[in-house]
Amino acid sequence: MTPLALLSGSPRRVAGVAGAVAAALVLLALPGLVNPYLLFQACLVMVTATAGLGLVLIMGWSGQIALSQAGFLGVGAYATTYLVAQGWAWPLAAVTAGLVAALFGVLIGLPATRLRGFYLAIATLAFAELMIRVFVEATPVTGGIAGTAVQAVVLPGIDVDGSRWYLCLAVAAVTTAVVMRIGRVGLGRRLRVVRDAEIAAPSLGVSPMRTKLLAFALSAFIGGIAGALYAQCLSYLTPEIFDMGLLIEFLVIAFLGGVGYVAGPFLGAVVVVVLRDLLQDLGSWQRLVYGLILALAIAFLPRGLASLPARLRARRPAPPAPEPPPVSGQADLTGAAR
Amino acid sequence: MNALELSGIAVRFGGNEVLKGVDLAVGTGFTGLIGPNGAGKTTVFNVVTGYVRPVAGSVRIAGEPVRAGRPAVVARRGVRRTFQTPRLVAELSVEANVLAGLDAGLPPGGGLADFLGVSRGARTARERARELLDAFGLAARAAEPAGNLPLGSQKIVEVVRALAPRPRIVLLDEPAAGLSAADVDRMVAPLAEIGERDELSILIIEHDLELVSRLCPRVAALHFGRILADGTPAEVLAHPDVVKAYLGAGVATVDS
Ligand SMILES: Nc1ncnc2c1ncn2[C@@H]1O[C@H](COP(=O)(O)OP(=O)(O)OP(=O)(O)O)[C@@H](O)[C@H]1O
Ligand SMILES: [Mg+2]
Repeated sequence: MTPLALLSGSPRRVAGVAGAVAAALVLLALPGLVNPYLLFQACLVMVTATAGLGLVLIMGWSGQIALSQAGFLGVGAYATTYLVAQGWAWPLAAVTAGLVAALFGVLIGLPATRLRGFYLAIATLAFAELMIRVFVEATPVTGGIAGTAVQAVVLPGIDVDGSRWYLCLAVAAVTTAVVMRIGRVGLGRRLRVVRDAEIAAPSLGVSPMRTKLLAFALSAFIGGIAGALYAQCLSYLTPEIFDMGLLIEFLVIAFLGGVGYVAGPFLGAVVVVVLRDLLQDLGSWQRLVYGLILALAIAFLPRGLASLPARLRARRPAPPAPEPPPVSGQADLTGAAR
Repeated sequence: MNALELSGIAVRFGGNEVLKGVDLAVGTGFTGLIGPNGAGKTTVFNVVTGYVRPVAGSVRIAGEPVRAGRPAVVARRGVRRTFQTPRLVAELSVEANVLAGLDAGLPPGGGLADFLGVSRGARTARERARELLDAFGLAARAAEPAGNLPLGSQKIVEVVRALAPRPRIVLLDEPAAGLSAADVDRMVAPLAEIGERDELSILIIEHDLELVSRLCPRVAALHFGRILADGTPAEVLAHPDVVKAYLGAGVATVDS
């Protein structure tokens, strides 16, 4: 868009574009603006948000409860690390790892597409636990309990910290663009039809089963790619990194951030990363805090922080504005029939 | 050849025999399916569209038998339906809900072209959706979330979604129920026009007998899982069994 076209837009639009450009510039210049510690935290936000974007597809749009994302992150992290150690270039290794995760996604999806609500939650949770066992046992690839070291990606002319940041930023940006686009095209429509009108889906020639499988595969692919990035932040992989704790962080993203919106995972990721930093001395009390936050989010913000602008807008007009449309919305953990 | 032919259809849910050998042939134009509550009308639709597997009998679309239990396949063979209670995606726009009816029509691999914004099919689909929404007087609300529309308009959106992919057979389950008189006209006029122009076979379940008589040259009356009478509205509504069924169900008949 030329500056002239910008000026001819509505003031809100101009402000929006100006804000986006300013944000992009700050993000690109970030390594020079903040200390390495904060830069590392920012990397974690991008990684966590990327994984959360996978949840937008599966939980937000297709309405399936998937507690398996931590497992897919693990698959992506280990597979990339292994392939890079075999001499593969990182981008190729990461995409391949994403495809491996997608394959796992289809495997868990095959039984999961026949389940719903509570049973689906348990099945996907069991898968995540099973993956931890696999990480422990598959010693030749994962190093087992002892773990495996990650080779850092260094971009030409940039230091390690900066390289990690630009990698995380680029992947998060591309994933965001792809997920936003999916939300607007036929696939995004089909996902929501399966969520809100599953009975009608076949009458439109849409197979709910295939659509759910595709959602599982895509969200697992994104999870795998996020895992590849996560490995870059960790520098050393051990199986327990991908256990319950990580799952709970994804729940915070889903329910506090809100997975009905692309912005949700980013808001959730900021909360998760800041909390992780604040609570690291609390040990197992961390989970209590997460639990409380989750309970409060589900009680008071059922569609997450990302739903706040729309809710406030709906409230502003003088006459009692209609409640936000009665969509059954994202996956609900209560398993209530819809 | 009839567009749609049911012969000897029997359906049982547990011990409940809902359809007991239904024969029905549907040709071009409007055919009414009437009957008291619980007669099994919606179940007939569910059998035709592959949602419910009959224990006996067969369904033929343009002479070809239909395999039960594959509703998505039936839909792709040009059979579209609406539901008694509209099943739209409330958060998607009216237009997107109509487009959802056209998605299955994209060629294989069309998903990627659609994603990249280079799908010719997707562009034609948008034009088709707009053209139909315009015909049904909903163009002004095309961009609104479907959940914001009153129930009557949502039912019209569902009719539009069903018509969008140019099906040969359209099954409408009580499309006028809960609609204001104005909404009924808004729906019926374009529906009749499109039905005639595209030579559609439209089977319509409707409790409003006046509307059925006006719209359908042919009516079949279902009661306790059997076709009681099949003919012109005047014949069917005057049929003693039909009169008795409706009186028994406490529904007033119209004089015809
Ligand atoms: N999937 C199902 N499982 C069990 N029973 C069913 C099912 N579908 C319909 N029935 C039963 O079959 C009978 C006929 O139902 P159906 O919905 O076909 O009637 P209808 O003629 O459409 O009635 P209405 O005018 O009230 O819509 C009812 O007794 C209903 O309870
Ligand atoms: Mg019915």
